[in-house]
Amino acid sequence: MIWVEILTRSIGVFLLTFLLVRLMGKQNIARLNPFRLVNYLVIAVLAVLLTFGYIENPWFGLFVLGVWALVPVALDYLALKSKRFHDWINGKGTVLIKNGKIMEENLLQERFSGEELLRELRKRNVFNLTDVEFAVMESDGSLDVLLKSDRKPVTPHDLGQPVAPQAETQTVILDGNILDEPLATMGLNRAWLKTEIAKAGVAIENIFLGQVDASGDLYLDLFDDAIRIPQPKVKERVYASLEKCRTDLASYALATENMEAKAMYAKDADKLAALLAEIKPFLLR
Amino acid sequence: MTVCSQVKQTAATLEGAQGILRLYLTQTQDEGSKAVIEKSINTAGEIIGDLQARIRDLEAQENQYKGF
Repeated sequence: MIWVEILTRSIGVFLLTFLLVRLMGKQNIARLNPFRLVNYLVIAVLAVLLTFGYIENPWFGLFVLGVWALVPVALDYLALKSKRFHDWINGKGTVLIKNGKIMEENLLQERFSGEELLRELRKRNVFNLTDVEFAVMESDGSLDVLLKSDRKPVTPHDLGQPVAPQAETQTVILDGNILDEPLATMGLNRAWLKTEIAKAGVAIENIFLGQVDASGDLYLDLFDDAIRIPQPKVKERVYASLEKCRTDLASYALATENMEAKAMYAKDADKLAALLAEIKPFLLR
Repeated sequence: MTVCSQVKQTAATLEGAQGILRLYLTQTQDEGSKAVIEKSINTAGEIIGDLQARIRDLEAQENQYKGF
């Protein structure tokens, strides 16, 4: 009899706690602020006490459980509405390094030693304090670092290099199964996929992964790694043949003695050179 | 290889590239890429037009090689 009672109580408390924790949102445990942790611990302890019946009146237990689960939800809601309230319950980030100088008082306030600061910086691949412009300790305890502008990694934007927009690729085959939804998202269908697979010359059962990129090329990975399949190189080939045409035109411009034709070839070679510069990011990545 | 057949070959290569670009124009989803590809197809078309006009002139000059 007591077994049945404990079983029903465990299942009941399990489902209730599960629902309440789901209701409290899906913040990552690793990025929990300290009070949230206390909150979850209280709920866990209450659940254990309720299961074993250590609380004389189980209704009180349920009531307290409800309070501990729903008050955080209410606080979160208020925090969304008001910035000041948000700062009050979640805390604010603390600036630890400003203009390349360590703020010792703030370090002390967060009980963060110099050694720990250096360790956190090293974790972010910063071994030299002079590289740091600004560092802030977020309310969840992680350290975010802004490097000095001359120490930041170079991006294509810094180099003034145009790049093609990288639209997401869709996985259309997984474990030998065709996925219809991603195919439809790309505006393709099974017939197209079957043709492409036939072109590659492999059986669909042998395909572990197939992805279609933004320009509609299909990339395949097979179970049998001994088989080599041609990866699409069409774009590279187009670029190469355009490049060849440009050099052809330039050499005709030099070779011909007809002045009119010379001018025409030279103009077209320039046009093609401009075209190549523009289309390069789309054909070669 | 005569001058005329060389120019013909270049025009053909360019037409081939233009054809593949047309294929990519239909496959590509992104609007920005589409615009660049379309512009390239048009430019290639202009150059092919120039080359074909030149081929006609050359064929008139080297009448004995006409059609090669």
